[in-house]
Amino acid sequence: MPSAAADYQAILRTLVDNKVNFIVVGGVSAMLHGATIVTLDLDLVHSREPQNLQRFLRALESLDAHSRERTDRKIRPTLPFLDISGHLLLTTSKGPLDVLGTIGDDLGYDELLKHITEMEVAKGLHVKVLNLDKYVEIKEKLNREKDRAVLPVLRQALEARRKRQSPSRGQRKKRPKKS
Amino acid sequence: MKPKQKTMRPKLAGGRKVSSSSGPRNKNRAYSEDGVDMTLIRWMLSLTPAERLQVAQQSARSTQEMRNAVRGR
Repeated sequence: MPSAAADYQAILRTLVDNKVNFIVVGGVSAMLHGATIVTLDLDLVHSREPQNLQRFLRALESLDAHSRERTDRKIRPTLPFLDISGHLLLTTSKGPLDVLGTIGDDLGYDELLKHITEMEVAKGLHVKVLNLDKYVEIKEKLNREKDRAVLPVLRQALEARRKRQSPSRGQRKKRPKKS
Repeated sequence: MKPKQKTMRPKLAGGRKVSSSSGPRNKNRAYSEDGVDMTLIRWMLSLTPAERLQVAQQSARSTQEMRNAVRGR
């Protein structure tokens, strides 16, 4: 089981410093959009372009990443491991990290790029974050018990965000002053 | 059909009833109809993305610490 305290900022900074192309997805992406859910790991979808895989592997090595499915020995990620559409569940020196080739209906990095927002998640640290509406759509399609459990919170957060962003709501027209 | 139970709502001085924050008329209600705590969502939306990441990080740490403590008993 992962023992390192979660330090998402440190993981993200290491990836950005190594120029890794990735998108933050999963529970952390939802929280970054204001959803009130708790998650214990950071989920990423990475670009599987060969040069990006090299950079990603270098970053993962510096984070001492290894599989958390085997507890008897450290199995470190390799290039072929990263070049798959499946999920790689890792533990790092900065907390658990799930590396996902695709999510939902076989959606990879390139497909998801149309559904991201760039956010500054720490001073000078800009990352791509999956949009909440896309995340809700993926969860609705998956429709597993664990997806259904969080959907009410995700939908309410999405709705609350829309209300906040809508310029017509909550704004009162200024009345001309009576002279 | 069960007869509807009359709920007793507390009254303020002068006989005014205390408004229910979860009532349908209250736009800033505490809970949505499906039971989601809207006060927490509004609080999260008032934070910057960097602050939200801190919240995510802290909640993951706290949960993990509690799990470790339970396991260590």
